[in-house]
Amino acid sequence: QPAATSAKAPLAGKYTEKGADTCIKCHDEDADYPVFDIFKTKHGTRGDKRSPFAGLQCEACHGPGVAGAEAMQETLDRGGHVGRVRPGQERPPILNFGSKSDEPVELQNSMCLSCHETGDHISWKGSVHEDADIACAKCHTIHTVADRVLERETQPEVCLDCHKTQRIEFQKPSHHPVRTGQMACSECHAPHGSAADRSLIKPTLNETCYSCHAEKRGPFLWEHAPVTENCSLCHAPHGSIHAPLLEKRTGWLCQQCHSQAGHPSVELSPAGLPGGSPSPFLLGDSCLNCHIQVHGSNHPSGVKLMR
Amino acid sequence: EEFITDTGEHIDITDWECKFCEFEEGFSGEVELGAGYVSDDSYKFGEYTGLNEEGAFPVGNASIRYRDDIDADYLNLSLRDAGLDSRSLRIEGGRQGTYDAFLFYQEIPHFLSDTAMTPYQGNGSENLSLPAAWVAAGSTAGMTALNASLRDVDLEVERKRFGVGLRFIPTAPWKYEVAVRRDTREGKMGTSGAFFFRGMNLVEPIDYETDQVDVSAAYRGKDWQATLHYYGSFFSNDNDSLIWQNAFAPIVPGATFGQRAQAPDNQFHQLQATAAYEITDATRLSGDIAVGRMTQDEDFLPATTNPNLNAGVLPANSLDGEVDTLTANLKVHSRPTDRLRVKGAWGYSDRDNNTPQNAYTWVSTDAFVNAPRTNLPYSFTRQEFKLDADYRIDNFTRLGAGFEHENIERTYLEAEETDEDTIWGELKVRARQNMDMTVKIARAERDVSDYQPVAEIDPDQNPLLRKYNMADRTRHSVRVIANASPSQRATVGVSFDFSTDEYTDSTVGLTDARDAAVSIDAGVQLTEDTSLHAFAGFERIRSRQSGSSIFAAPDWEARNDDTVNTAGIGARHTLIEDKLDIGADYILMRATGEISVDGSDFPDLENDRDTIKLYANYRLKETMSLHLAYWYEDYDVQNWSVDQVNPDTLPGVLTFGEENESYDVNVVTLSVRYKF
Repeated sequence: QPAATSAKAPLAGKYTEKGADTCIKCHDEDADYPVFDIFKTKHGTRGDKRSPFAGLQCEACHGPGVAGAEAMQETLDRGGHVGRVRPGQERPPILNFGSKSDEPVELQNSMCLSCHETGDHISWKGSVHEDADIACAKCHTIHTVADRVLERETQPEVCLDCHKTQRIEFQKPSHHPVRTGQMACSECHAPHGSAADRSLIKPTLNETCYSCHAEKRGPFLWEHAPVTENCSLCHAPHGSIHAPLLEKRTGWLCQQCHSQAGHPSVELSPAGLPGGSPSPFLLGDSCLNCHIQVHGSNHPSGVKLMR
Repeated sequence: EEFITDTGEHIDITDWECKFCEFEEGFSGEVELGAGYVSDDSYKFGEYTGLNEEGAFPVGNASIRYRDDIDADYLNLSLRDAGLDSRSLRIEGGRQGTYDAFLFYQEIPHFLSDTAMTPYQGNGSENLSLPAAWVAAGSTAGMTALNASLRDVDLEVERKRFGVGLRFIPTAPWKYEVAVRRDTREGKMGTSGAFFFRGMNLVEPIDYETDQVDVSAAYRGKDWQATLHYYGSFFSNDNDSLIWQNAFAPIVPGATFGQRAQAPDNQFHQLQATAAYEITDATRLSGDIAVGRMTQDEDFLPATTNPNLNAGVLPANSLDGEVDTLTANLKVHSRPTDRLRVKGAWGYSDRDNNTPQNAYTWVSTDAFVNAPRTNLPYSFTRQEFKLDADYRIDNFTRLGAGFEHENIERTYLEAEETDEDTIWGELKVRARQNMDMTVKIARAERDVSDYQPVAEIDPDQNPLLRKYNMADRTRHSVRVIANASPSQRATVGVSFDFSTDEYTDSTVGLTDARDAAVSIDAGVQLTEDTSLHAFAGFERIRSRQSGSSIFAAPDWEARNDDTVNTAGIGARHTLIEDKLDIGADYILMRATGEISVDGSDFPDLENDRDTIKLYANYRLKETMSLHLAYWYEDYDVQNWSVDQVNPDTLPGVLTFGEENESYDVNVVTLSVRYKF
């Protein structure tokens, strides 16, 4: 009776006679690359018919293993080294994954996608990460209890390893709580691709922001046009030295778009600081000392965003 | 026994006993308990973590698993920072491959300020009043009861998030999910209120509740996948308005209290369908459509609370606000040959604001009745076309190029239409498995059909002004990313981002902007027992803008120059094998903001932070270890926005008189970790 029919077998070659036992008699907990933690994960669950260990076990993902096992045995018989693959040393002929793998990324990923190309992964093909030839195993670790990229506290370390400019930005004084572990990158971004720009989790940037800041959604009686168009016209989501996540200090930020006569387009100068003639356009909340409803007002008298 | 693959191959697995496999049964996990101590009060240090107060705090973390390998029953529990205001709990379980359920709870504090002072009473409520002895005056200098009336007020908002969800996989190709989540936010934030040219910092009560519902069904066929998804979001605010007493002498009779609106209750519903189809092995078509509606119908507040003014009858009792959203995307990508990848995409996004328009007689700051103004419900339509190709020249080199066109149409705004064309080229080089480099350059040109100040806006905007999101712009950008592993034990990565924006037709407004960021990081496993890692990053954000105080040609220019330097170095070392591990990290951050207007320099905005983290992990026995951690952080700020600004520094604005956020904090924790 067939045990299951869930996995594809895209690789040519012969499957071993004894399945996982062939592999893990060596890849035990003392090996350079221990694999036993897979039994603490969903992949190592026999009761789930979709799981590799309900089917072709190690070879469900690593492909038919005879060639690999034979090569290892030959090396051992020669008294050769079979631990960590050294620079210049050829890898055994078994599909392996991750940044140090010699296998084409597309082939590596096809093994994962043969089960996972659904739900959140439906947009993987054609996504930014696929275009950049990112292997699934570059971010995900499989033979481990807790995959770092799936944990809120550790995920940013994985993402920021490549997204280095964002790592600088998260160090700035005004920031979302990513550096401190209360928020994951994936609360805004869909790493496996989405229809939205920047792989955002919602169809538009503003809808993504509203998923935590729904009070700014409105619609308001008096809308502030750039707010409804794109939150990032004023805010730098990954960090800023101008709180709260502003592109620049309030006065000048507003003056980029508001130039009525006199007020508010006065020249803001250091003379307006304490010690000089303190200016309400500069200090306190600057323009927001009066025009506080920058995200829109629903007050009948709120046309100037003051009520 | 046989296993039949999707391709029909029969594989004999009779002898696949898996006798060495250590399938997991029952409970396992790790629990950590201990105590910590914070040396000093600092809202900024504990901004999101809850380590904001001097004193002891409990340490509590747990990861507990249950697995039944044969029945596929499982349970995962993860508890983090149980002793802090940033605690979180997630429990997930079910029968793997059949159904799962999850529950989560998370608290995210946001400690905003512990140095604010206000004379107002009733902070945290919708009504703010001044003490009976208050002396209102034309300027803060005349408020003789100010100093005696000032009280500290802590500004903080706590978010609590609770969610539950269910996932069903009744038959293999189907997956159903239902999830609901409630976010509550409670606390106090800083805000302000004004009477004409007189403003005052106020405390705004926050009492928000947002419920979100997700229901989805996903199907996975042989060569196609599809998902149907409903999303609902329901926001409600317990506070409708904020009423405050005028701290200044009223400019007109009756302008002694002001009332402003708080964020109105609102809803958003969206239905989204996503599908993908493999036309051939090499060509895939995918698409997505989302139809949504935002509504808001909160009762209007009166145009004024000033009994001496008559603004007439409101044209409506509520807005009846309604915005329809439509987002659609279609994407084809193909690999006609082994070497060539081609992609074409069309994107459409529409915000159609159907909110009724009415003329509202408005009262300026509860003081003056003005001629009616009509609300302008903004609508936007954005379309985007993309075409790109990428060719593998040989095993080491790939060359890509693309073209993008974006068109945005807007209503009631200065530019009815903007078009932007982007071209880019990319080179990827890979030298064996241990080195790769990507260089991407792009040029974008935005063209604005016709820029006209909006007639309905009063007073008029300077006709020379170009708002930067609707201005002609030329953007150049360069990105270089390189990674290398000189050996199996060492990695080094470099990234460089540079872009320039020139606003070619902007006389007043933002005229140009330049961003540059350079990063480098490296890691090395020195020995089996020792590893080192380090990173350094530099970012500079510059811009120039022109303004005119005389409603004519520009008469001032401002330059902004933000610089951030950050660097870190860390080490991990096993001091005694299987017994004692130690680690150390140092992170430096120096952020400077330089602003100069017509050559006059503002004092630099300085944010200097040094962080040291040390830990030692001592294994008492196989299942138990002791964990000692030390965290030191020193943060020095110079911020002219608040430095030396006392509540009465500004004659016309009564401020909170906050201090900058500098701190110097030590945290020590000692905990026991038990593994089972």
